[in-house]
Amino acid sequence: MATQIQGDYFGDGGKLFSLYIKTALLTLITLGIYRFWAKTRIRKYVWSAISGDGDSFEYTGTGLEKFLGFLVAIVILAIYLGIVQMLLLFFGLNLFVDPAGDPIQALWQLAAIYITFFAVLPLLLFAQYRARRYRMSRTRWRGLRFGMVNGAWAYTLRALGYYLLNILTIGLLSPLVTFKLEKFMVDRTWYGDAKFIQNGRWQRLYRGMKHFLFALLFMAAFIGLGYLVESVGLATIGLVVGYIWFILASVYYNIYALNYMAGEKLLDHKVSFLAVVRTGKILGIMIIGMLAIFGLLFVVGLFGSMLFAGFFSSFAAGDVTGAGVGPVMAILGIVLYVGMILLIGGVSLVLITQPIIRHVVESITVTNADHLDTIRQRAADAGADAEGFADALDIGAAL
Amino acid sequence: MLGEGRYFDGESGQRLTVALDLDTAAGHLRLSHPDFPGGAYIWPLMGLRSLADLATENRMVLSLAKDHAVDSALIETARLTLRDPAMIEAVQNHAPNLKKRDLPQGSGRKIVTRIGLAVGALALMIFVILPGLANTLANYIPIEREVAYGRSVVEQMERFLGGTKAKGLTCSNPEGVAALDAMTTRLTDAAEVNYDLNIAVFNHKMVNAFAAPGGQIVLMRGLIEKAESPDEVAAVLAHEIGHVEARDTTRAALRTAGSAGLLSMVLGDFAGGSAVLVVAEYTLNASYTREAEGKADQFALNMMQASGTDAGALGTFFDRLAGLEAGGPGLPVYLSSHPDTKERANAAREFAEGQTGTKPILDDTQWQALKDICKE
Repeated sequence: MATQIQGDYFGDGGKLFSLYIKTALLTLITLGIYRFWAKTRIRKYVWSAISGDGDSFEYTGTGLEKFLGFLVAIVILAIYLGIVQMLLLFFGLNLFVDPAGDPIQALWQLAAIYITFFAVLPLLLFAQYRARRYRMSRTRWRGLRFGMVNGAWAYTLRALGYYLLNILTIGLLSPLVTFKLEKFMVDRTWYGDAKFIQNGRWQRLYRGMKHFLFALLFMAAFIGLGYLVESVGLATIGLVVGYIWFILASVYYNIYALNYMAGEKLLDHKVSFLAVVRTGKILGIMIIGMLAIFGLLFVVGLFGSMLFAGFFSSFAAGDVTGAGVGPVMAILGIVLYVGMILLIGGVSLVLITQPIIRHVVESITVTNADHLDTIRQRAADAGADAEGFADALDIGAAL
Repeated sequence: MLGEGRYFDGESGQRLTVALDLDTAAGHLRLSHPDFPGGAYIWPLMGLRSLADLATENRMVLSLAKDHAVDSALIETARLTLRDPAMIEAVQNHAPNLKKRDLPQGSGRKIVTRIGLAVGALALMIFVILPGLANTLANYIPIEREVAYGRSVVEQMERFLGGTKAKGLTCSNPEGVAALDAMTTRLTDAAEVNYDLNIAVFNHKMVNAFAAPGGQIVLMRGLIEKAESPDEVAAVLAHEIGHVEARDTTRAALRTAGSAGLLSMVLGDFAGGSAVLVVAEYTLNASYTREAEGKADQFALNMMQASGTDAGALGTFFDRLAGLEAGGPGLPVYLSSHPDTKERANAAREFAEGQTGTKPILDDTQWQALKDICKE
């Protein structure tokens, strides 16, 4: 076998798009129940498109088990969410006073909104780990399955602690948080009977933060300059450009971290990895995809408003009460709205998600790959059958 | 038919190139490799399954269903990949169950029990626990907060109905407002009302009226136009006052906050989800409110009685709405949120039979002024 394996991706935009539209329509017809099967089928497609050394990945999850896991999650979440949300509105109401009136009251309201988020945050983190564990246990390559040891609660506690630390240090410890949380998961991951280990040092990720620094310096320089020469324009340019630069900086940081940490992963102490994902390539994909979606929105919006304008004028002449217009317009509106959401979902899957997966897969190299032949199957992880929380809380919407 | 395939046994991760022999007469596919025990595995064509939704073109991946795995208990994890188009076509033609999906044993029972549990938990929350909690919590909300909340609900409603600025839809003809005040005073003088009522008329053709938390009541112009006597308007007003006094809308808001979250979770954040959510919420509310409607009716009848107004007006108005509904597509919105009108109209008439010495709530001049409240 080859000592080096290069990742390949065989997915095709048109085929994935038609699969997405087909499954999305089925989901629509079944009032959302088919969504578990829909997601499973799209995963099967994407997994089978990823290949190394001529052997494709296989996704062995089923829609039925996702549905069953979801039902269990509902029982628990129904009780928790129902009560929490009502209590939150209760406190929200008790704090409620016209937010425009009093800044203190407005702050209180803001606090109430954030409490909502914090009530669900532990569940989100828990679900995040469980979902990754489920996906691992349903992923095979050369007939051997991946797996993850149970550790969702431990992960949730650690993540909460690290996030708090990150907030207290205004993001200065982001590399520590990124590194430790990824290491926690990687160190619990297996391929067959071989274990992954995350090596490396979290301090090394600071180099990936450089664009945050540039963005801040740029902003400070322009605002300072604007203050000195008393130009609001300069300060505004500083703010706007700095803000955009910040967003790009976070993309750069995530890719930097992915590349660095992939390079420091080891499988079975022997097999190593190399990732050379390029920020420019990813940004290009995202920008083209978003332009396509905006274009689509524009065309559909134009078409829709023309249609509605036509309806208004045709009814304004005859029917004075306009009673008949309501239902027709409502139905047309719903059809347009639903159709547009479907289209946007499909387009972003095909023009953004899949090309990014393609680029990431193709930029990964596995070295020392002949050692993979010595790896054997490991007993399946019991209880890795519930992605239900992630489904119920709608995490990882696309895949 | 002879051929070749790529084989993974699901145990070792070793890739084996196996020789294939498709024997359609015997109904099996024979996989041969020197490493196999006895040199070959026999896969019955009945038991062959192919993986679905593959991205790779011109490829077929086969596995063996569990009950057909005669060679090894683990063989169902084995995978055979075919790349030869002729072989793929032959397998497609001779293996009858390629697309069959085998369910693990006990799936049916599992599905039924879990759906039962989930539906039970949801029903318990939506119909027992959330309403109960809402009823309790509603009593602990200070009245001034309720008023503030109710005002913002009315403002939102105004904006939703097309008012471009705050108070843009509120009718303010002084004589009309005076008539409305006279009506309200006569109704409330005779009964005990805990809230400072804030009653407005919106300039909108909809035949509707609604109450928001904290004593906010809105009548639509369309409702006043459809009424044939001031007593009918008073009956609707008294009914809405009944909702205010019972804190129905405050409780409904709390309950909705809880159940809307649950429903959106069940339906998923999907394009169809949000549309279905509205319908589901609506149906749910209709069933909640049946009891509340009955109580508000009773409150209205008592209020009419105490103020010496003909309570039968409530019945007449319901009848007129029902007639409108039968007459065409101009379905009054008021009806759709107020079910069982026929029965309730009869109850109102029965109640009115016991009344004596009633007089109209407004004189003709006042009634005309109320009808013109939206004219400048």
